[in-house]
Amino acid sequence: MADSPLFQALHMEMAHALCAEQEKGLGALEGVGFRVGQGLSERLTKETPSFKDELDALKFLCKDLWITVFKKQVDNLRTNHQGTYMLQDNQFLLLSQLSNGKQYLEEAPKFLAFTCGLVKGALSNLGFDSTVTAEVPVMPSSKFQVVIQKS
Amino acid sequence: MTVHNLYLFDRNGICLHYSEWHRKKQAGISKEEEFKLMYGMLFSMRSFVGKMSPVDMKDGFLAFQTSKYKLHYYETPSGLKVVMNTDLGVGNIRDVLHQIYSNIYVEFVVKNPLCSLSEPIQSELFHAKLDGFIRGLPFFSARAG
Repeated sequence: MADSPLFQALHMEMAHALCAEQEKGLGALEGVGFRVGQGLSERLTKETPSFKDELDALKFLCKDLWITVFKKQVDNLRTNHQGTYMLQDNQFLLLSQLSNGKQYLEEAPKFLAFTCGLVKGALSNLGFDSTVTAEVPVMPSSKFQVVIQKS
Repeated sequence: MTVHNLYLFDRNGICLHYSEWHRKKQAGISKEEEFKLMYGMLFSMRSFVGKMSPVDMKDGFLAFQTSKYKLHYYETPSGLKVVMNTDLGVGNIRDVLHQIYSNIYVEFVVKNPLCSLSEPIQSELFHAKLDGFIRGLPFFSARAG
């Protein structure tokens, strides 16, 4: 995204505003992220050939999508080869300004909901249904767990 | 050569942050009174400097010095005021104060959705980065000069 400051500022306000009411807010944020993810993955894969399997799709996510949105690649991708993947980003862009350790940890989920939706939407557009959850062991690193549904 | 302390005020006079590194003498009044005194002095000094300037004013009030310390002042267009007391060996540090604003305040306070801009800064990351930055300055020495 060319305007990273704009995206960051917008995301900040979105997370803050939508999460005034806890439950609905997180769902709404994830929904927004989902549609953004769908559109983004469509645009980014315009020129590339279709993916051989889900691992390739995940690799595309970790490299191209992450670079486009967060200006860096995912640091670590792990899988159990049975449909579960773990993406780890040690300097997550949206969290790096918040804290360097334990402060503000309880607020972190709000800022991850959009990204969870983003990953889910991107994968769904590539043909994989999934559920995505996120956790923050310590700021600013974050882990996203993707479970691909076998249809 | 050393840095004694640092104040950050917002445009309404609220002290957003204060930290000290080498301060041998306290003001003898409570911290709130000290902040109000500092802000009031800066406000008056700025307008005094503007009014009494015999030539067209460019930057306005920059610093004052006594026989023991020098007070440096930097104000951003958004009204944030950075005030640093150092000893006398330090020259013009406007660019340092500007860096404190752009690399530390903007990065870790403005961009942090959980920091309200008109309240004292709670973010530990901000404190840590600021402390690290000040200690890394060439004119900061661990022993008071």
